Amino acid sequence: MKSYFLLSFLTCANFLNIHVCLANHSNNWAVLVDTSRFWFNYRHVANVLSIYRSVKRLGIPDSQIILMVADDMACNPRNPSPATVFNNADQQLNVYGDDVEVDFRGYEVTVENFVRLLTGRLPPDTPRSKQLLTDEGSNILIYLTGHGGDGFLKFQDSEEVTSQELADALEQMWQKRRYHEIFFMIDTCQASSMYEKFYSPNILAMASSLVGEDSLSHHVDPAIGVYIIDRYTFYALKFLENVKLKSRISMKSFLGVCPKQDCISTVGVRIDLFHRDLAKVPITDFFGSVRPVELTFDFLDISNTPL
Amino acid sequence: MVLVYKMSTKSLWLLFIFIGSSYSETYSEELFIKPLATGYVYSFFQFTVIREDDSFKHSTLFPHSLGDIIDRFHVAELNVDLTSGLWKHKSWGYPAVDAPSGAEISARFHNDTQDVDKHWYGLTNALSGLLCTSLNFINSANSYESSADRVYRYSNLPRENVCTENLTPWKKLLPCDSTRGLSSLLNSGRVHNANYHSLGIHFRPLCNAGKCKYELRQTVSLVYDSIFISFNNNYDWSLRKMFGTGLFKTCPLADYSKIYLDTSSNSSVPYLISQEPDYVLKNNIAVYNLNGIFHLSAIVPRPKIVVSELRPLLYTDRFITGFGQEYGGLVTRIYNDHKSPIIATVIENIPWFLPIYYHTLKVTSNGIRIIPKALIYKPGKGRVRIYYLEIVLELAPRSVTEISVQFDYVFLKWQEYPPDANHGFYIGSAIVKATIPRNATSLTFDKSLIIDNLNSTGDDYLICLKTENFIITLPTPDFSMPYNVICLACTVVALAFGPIHNITTKRLKLTTAKYVPGLASVAQKLYVLMETIFMLKSKKTGKPTPVKVFTPEELSYHPTLGHVSEEFMKNKGN
Repeated sequence: MKSYFLLSFLTCANFLNIHVCLANHSNNWAVLVDTSRFWFNYRHVANVLSIYRSVKRLGIPDSQIILMVADDMACNPRNPSPATVFNNADQQLNVYGDDVEVDFRGYEVTVENFVRLLTGRLPPDTPRSKQLLTDEGSNILIYLTGHGGDGFLKFQDSEEVTSQELADALEQMWQKRRYHEIFFMIDTCQASSMYEKFYSPNILAMASSLVGEDSLSHHVDPAIGVYIIDRYTFYALKFLENVKLKSRISMKSFLGVCPKQDCISTVGVRIDLFHRDLAKVPITDFFGSVRPVELTFDFLDISNTPL
Repeated sequence: MVLVYKMSTKSLWLLFIFIGSSYSETYSEELFIKPLATGYVYSFFQFTVIREDDSFKHSTLFPHSLGDIIDRFHVAELNVDLTSGLWKHKSWGYPAVDAPSGAEISARFHNDTQDVDKHWYGLTNALSGLLCTSLNFINSANSYESSADRVYRYSNLPRENVCTENLTPWKKLLPCDSTRGLSSLLNSGRVHNANYHSLGIHFRPLCNAGKCKYELRQTVSLVYDSIFISFNNNYDWSLRKMFGTGLFKTCPLADYSKIYLDTSSNSSVPYLISQEPDYVLKNNIAVYNLNGIFHLSAIVPRPKIVVSELRPLLYTDRFITGFGQEYGGLVTRIYNDHKSPIIATVIENIPWFLPIYYHTLKVTSNGIRIIPKALIYKPGKGRVRIYYLEIVLELAPRSVTEISVQFDYVFLKWQEYPPDANHGFYIGSAIVKATIPRNATSLTFDKSLIIDNLNSTGDDYLICLKTENFIITLPTPDFSMPYNVICLACTVVALAFGPIHNITTKRLKLTTAKYVPGLASVAQKLYVLMETIFMLKSKKTGKPTPVKVFTPEELSYHPTLGHVSEEFMKNKGN
């Protein structure tokens, strides 16, 4: 049996002849934050879980997704169907899913924890699942949703992060080589004010509304009794549901995901910090984790390769 | 790529077999179902791994992620329970694992551990990451060490909610995950729809004559209301109705998988079971060995009178007294229905923001004040330590013992209030430990496997009851007050500043205005209009009206109007 095992291992090694394409990034991470507490903010939890569902479906593992949810909607006593969060009143898509892992929840969702997570300045006992272990090859998707205003985003109705603080946190990340590229998405009122202060390179930013505009919710589920999702994220999820791992949809087409007649608010985009042609950036550079692998059927000499 | 993947998994499997042979581990899956009084059905899942080795470097069945934590933080014994709902001892009897609502964690570290607190906080942080809970909120202000045991720590977080994000990592610790075996019955939608659900992880050493084995039990307790789950408004229940699915495949890694059904309530309400049991234990436990597709259902006739089962010997009750937001009282009642006295230990852990008055502590038995056999009191300290009260009592036969103490409601610092301060603050349960005769309860759960428990005989059985949590409303400040104060102060300042600034910096002077009363003014306006239309077309801009500025010398004094111009006085004189 042992010899068979060795044989199989060698055969396996012969097949492991993999050429890695020259990809711009080496790994993908996602930081998804819902900053709102209380039942009437159900829609914000549905928003963040919609994006969570998409990035997980497109291959980013749970260990590389930091999910922050400020309140428990799924098992809330007011939820008529426990352990579910729906994006639509037709209740076809449970965005909460059956194997969700929430890294920061409830009172843990604070500005301090969020900024510490981004900058990596954490207490020594912090478990791995609550750390953003990125490097200079990491592409990070940052998605925020909650209640905001011109230049700030509220956390749990008790504190707020300002656009300047956020911009400084990202600059600190850049200086510490904690990212390669960032796609920053935010769904809140006056959302574009949050990215206006950014000054670090390689950031592509997108917001659900411009300064002076409100972001609007999509529709009410009478069974749940509150608005269940916001317009911008509703259409983003609709778009992302059609993305497959191998599809060549570009970021440019994603930026047009919610035209004004759908969103009612104007979607804001900031591209001056980002130096690639958006039409050539596949959407899976941020929403998925695609390892460019090429197979070869030639034999490869691995005798000199250090194991 | 697919081929490569297949080959490598195959070699991995072989690797498993090689390592597996050198370490002895056993795994079993069990499900115990017991219909409770008033139409509830209790199902208790237990997944047990027993290994002989206490180094967790290599394991096949024992979860690596948990083994690493146990190793790293020198843990000798660990209990974690995540619960939602309240177990009703009075009508349901004793559960297999008694856990209060919220998160509860206790650990005993190795005796030679130096800095126990450091390991305790390290452990709770690591578990918070492993189980997606907020156990990292455990600090000195909400945990206590046992009075007798230096290396024991306990804490509970009554606010902690339990949902799929806890069930998912819990299931990942199982050897078969949730793909096969009894764990495939645990669908999040159904688990969290139960009236009471509790997830548990229990690790302990089992030592016998110097030789130790290490046991990990992962447990799930679920209580369903059979009227709620059956659509026909009757008491029928089945695996499919409770868990939403039948049982299809057993876990091949399990040494055995069994389902036990307690039929002892059959005497009061006889019911029909769809499957003949493989054998029957002690005349009332039906045992099913699982090997393949299995389904179990029961048809229960609707009883005319709901007969509650034998009441448990010992049960508790806890509530707060008083009104207003200044003083309050905390009352814990322990009911002893046994015909002989029972020694019980009551542990109250009261958070620092509920300071108790020790001199108001009163213990009564059937209304008569008694002196406890032993009493340990460690006063709390603001933001640092809980109020710990441990009372050993002899509960008189057929008695109600009441422990009451008064407390204050305190103001917290502004920043210490949570975002939803008006929701209230949760106070964790008290613990009542007592030894009761083994035959006084129908089931005991202190052995490794359920089957051993069902067969167990002996004298005494240690029960550990957890009382209700409760919620109090601390006096909360008006959080918008600073904003209101700023608004009000600014308004007052603005109102005061304007006139004062005007008065101090400007001088009031009176000028004469051209004023023609009555009809004459209309005529004058007409004249001006005519003038602009007919005569002065070339003059685009009107002539500015000269305003005469008077020097103080030109002004003279009028008795009512004050300083006025001389011209005015002259006109008046005319």
